[in-house]
Amino acid sequence: MAKPIDLLQGTLDMLILKAVSLGPLHGYGVLLRIQQISKERLEIQQGSLYPALYRLEHQGWIASEWGESDNKRKAKYYRLTAAGKRRFQTETEKWNRMADVIAGILRTTPEEV
Amino acid sequence: MTTWSRLHSWQQTILRRSRIESEMDTELRFHMESRAEDLARNGVPRQEALRRARLEFGGIETAKEECREARGAGFIETLLQDIRFASRILRKNPGFTALAVLTLAVGIGASAAVFSLVNAILLKPLPYPDSGRIVLPELISPPGVNLGSEYMPWGQLQFRALTRDAHPFQAVSAFQNDSFNLTGAGEPASLDGFRASQEFFPSLGIAPALGRAFTAEEDQPGHEYEVILSDRLWRERFAADRNILGRSVELNGSAYTVVGVMPAGFAFPRAEEMPSNFNFPAEPQLWVPLAIPAEPKPGPSELAVIGRLKPGVAVQQAQAAMDLITKHAEEQDHRWTGWFNMRVVPLQRQVVGDTRRPLQLMLGAVCMVLLIACSNVANLLLTRSLARRREFTLRAALGAGRARLIRQLLTESLLISLAGGAMGILIANAGIYFVKTLGPSNIPRLREVTLDLPVLAFALGISLATGILFGFVPALAAARENLVDSLKDGSQKSGGSRISPRLRNALLVSQVALALVLVVSAGLLTRTFFQLLGADGGFNAERVLTFQLPLPSLKYAEQNRIVTLFGNVLERLRAIPGVQSAGIGETVPLGGEGESTVIRMPDHPATSQKELPFANFTVISPGYFPAIGTPLLRGRDFQETDTSNSMQVAIVNATMEKKYWPNQGAIGKQVGPGSTRYPLLTIVGVVPDVKHTSLREETAPEMYVLYNQNPWPSMLDMRVALRTKADPAGMTESVREAVHAIDPDLPLARVATLTTLVNDSMSQPRFSVFLLGAFGVLALLLASIGMYGVISYSVLQRTQEIGIRMALGAQRRSVFGMVLGQGAWLAGLGIAIGLVVALGVTRLMAGFLYGVRPTDPLTFAGVSLLLLGIALLACYLPARRATRVDPMVALKYE
Repeated sequence: MAKPIDLLQGTLDMLILKAVSLGPLHGYGVLLRIQQISKERLEIQQGSLYPALYRLEHQGWIASEWGESDNKRKAKYYRLTAAGKRRFQTETEKWNRMADVIAGILRTTPEEV
Repeated sequence: MTTWSRLHSWQQTILRRSRIESEMDTELRFHMESRAEDLARNGVPRQEALRRARLEFGGIETAKEECREARGAGFIETLLQDIRFASRILRKNPGFTALAVLTLAVGIGASAAVFSLVNAILLKPLPYPDSGRIVLPELISPPGVNLGSEYMPWGQLQFRALTRDAHPFQAVSAFQNDSFNLTGAGEPASLDGFRASQEFFPSLGIAPALGRAFTAEEDQPGHEYEVILSDRLWRERFAADRNILGRSVELNGSAYTVVGVMPAGFAFPRAEEMPSNFNFPAEPQLWVPLAIPAEPKPGPSELAVIGRLKPGVAVQQAQAAMDLITKHAEEQDHRWTGWFNMRVVPLQRQVVGDTRRPLQLMLGAVCMVLLIACSNVANLLLTRSLARRREFTLRAALGAGRARLIRQLLTESLLISLAGGAMGILIANAGIYFVKTLGPSNIPRLREVTLDLPVLAFALGISLATGILFGFVPALAAARENLVDSLKDGSQKSGGSRISPRLRNALLVSQVALALVLVVSAGLLTRTFFQLLGADGGFNAERVLTFQLPLPSLKYAEQNRIVTLFGNVLERLRAIPGVQSAGIGETVPLGGEGESTVIRMPDHPATSQKELPFANFTVISPGYFPAIGTPLLRGRDFQETDTSNSMQVAIVNATMEKKYWPNQGAIGKQVGPGSTRYPLLTIVGVVPDVKHTSLREETAPEMYVLYNQNPWPSMLDMRVALRTKADPAGMTESVREAVHAIDPDLPLARVATLTTLVNDSMSQPRFSVFLLGAFGVLALLLASIGMYGVISYSVLQRTQEIGIRMALGAQRRSVFGMVLGQGAWLAGLGIAIGLVVALGVTRLMAGFLYGVRPTDPLTFAGVSLLLLGIALLACYLPARRATRVDPMVALKYE
């Protein structure tokens, strides 16, 4: 049970960074943005979204401030910080490399071993 | 993660926890409502939309908890959680908690109270600016000359030598006490004051609150009629009149101009802060210029000196400079060799003086009380942690790490110790109040003792330290429990790990040992106290009234006038109904040190300047010895028939007779003041040694001479003693009337019964005995509680074993004996160790003892038996409980 959550957590962080890199968003907005750009293919646990936001903010990769939402309500907006931007780049590279390696491994046929 | 963001996050957690909580609520509510609105827009009914939004979100409290965790506030959160848990545990066991907190409160409170004394007296700088630079230059008596102490009052000549070459000093001043009769402003009063040279106030760095200090011109003979008042005198006698400057007041018959008023609280020098041989008044009320003549007279003088070192000059440098002055003076005139020896002492050290050692004694004693309290609470915790073994095992099995368990237990013990500390501060406050009201008046700086910040910090510090000290061992022991063993064991009643009984026994033994040391010390002091009470002071204090009769020096400039006055006063006093006898003397017993002088005896010619014989030289009137109740050992008393024209006579004390005429007796021998200008006197009587400063003093040789044969003009400050038939305190008014009938301007000062003087002289030993005795009783109480706790727990643990023994036919008596025996063995071990330690410790106390040896076998044996008795008493209840064990119940117990 424990391992898939870890994996999901790692990817969720990256997805959040991606979402707010396109412009400041409130928590619910982050959820919508991810669903939108993933074309609804990803199901995100709403309960785990906020701990991830808080963790990223605590680590200094995103910053928050209170603003007004489209429906004229007080909402907390998150934006990417400079440190978060760098982090997002390295994470993306790491992810791509990892995905290549994994994909390569998975493509391997018995003859190639 | 940056340090900043981490710190920021922590700070927010601590300071703005509630704001963050509400922000989190707002954010999550916003999420939920936005989601519900989106759903509603797709046609879901409003109520249903809200419900579904909540369902989709999942556990909201879990999310919040995870958010809090994600903030990195783990430490604080855990701490708060630990504290919540610990206080719940402590509340669940009110008896245990109360006992532990109370025990610590007593230990911490007593320590904080003693520390407040140490802080105010030893640690705090004196209340003068840059007080570290204030020093007391002292004059040391030449080797071989015994003045009763190694200090010698400064002469004008020596002081002049010091000021002439006073390179190390920024300011240096001589001063001398004097009493001043204030007349013309209500009832005549005798005021204690000082004559001080110009730089007196600059030396201390304190300027008058009103007006100015003395000028150099005012410090010259003929110009010295200015006075500076103390704040107290200004308020009490002059109604705090701010226009007092320039006003004239009458002191000793001369008009003095008021030039200044000192700030409140300033009263330098106080008697208890100065070397006792100066015999200074308790608290000076006024200061006038000293006005040493340009050509100082070489004769004896009674000056003290104070100086302020230049910035950056160390005490050693000042000492070197003064050694140089000594050398110059001796080179100039060889007769001065040995009479210019100077030593410089920081004022702080002088003020602390003899108080350091009693304070160290108290501090040592209170540390022992604190240690006993700590080990007692450690034992309580240990006992309880055994009972909580199941809980620990369970928590360990559920994944709590060893560090986590230790941390939880330490939180508990710190909570106990902090509660104990808070209560201890209340106890300390009461203790400080008690010491200030009932403590001896001769403790320096006692009025500065308060529950101030350093004391509070100290209390907090020892609370934390004790919390860790007594909490750590049980916590370690608990965490060391072997999980598998305790699970297999299953029983909560048996055993505990091997280490615990040993540890608890060791703690108990150390408690008994510490208590023994403390009680033996208290016992030795108590014996000292009673030895002192029984000590022969050479007088009989019952029904004796004493007072001081200071004479205005202008009115009584002539010796004849004084002699006539005294004759008249004595006649009047003896005529008062109820007065048995009356006498006048320079001192009264325990009324302070008298004069001492070089003496000459034709049958003991002095071999060298350095071995001049000294003796106290006390002027008295006939009737003095009967009044203070001193019997005559041999010869006769002074009589009214001894006049200025008859044979010059003297009476000596037993020490003097033993020292100079050990075989043939003193009667008929000749003795006189050192200078051949004065005639020799014939000794006609010998009296027992009369003690002057305390009942434990080593009496010096003393000679008494008659007031009407006295060659010296030293009778302006005499004391009167009256032996009465009834209560002497009730006679004060008729005595005052009798004196005023002869001279209405004469003030009566320091009116006190002789019993009061004896009590005052006993106040310090009484106080030491009381404090140490209180600590001793506390130690006994704590040790017996500890003994009770350990033995009753051991009985509880051995219930099954005892049941089996009894089922197998063991007699109740033997079970009783077995439990008692265990207690006796532990107590015996503690006593044995304590005796060895006590033998070492009491040797350090030798200076506090009188009439009893530090290894007094009676005290040692008595205290050992007392402790053994108390230990057995503490075991009695658990032992009785053991005999009531029902074998059937005990065997079914598991």
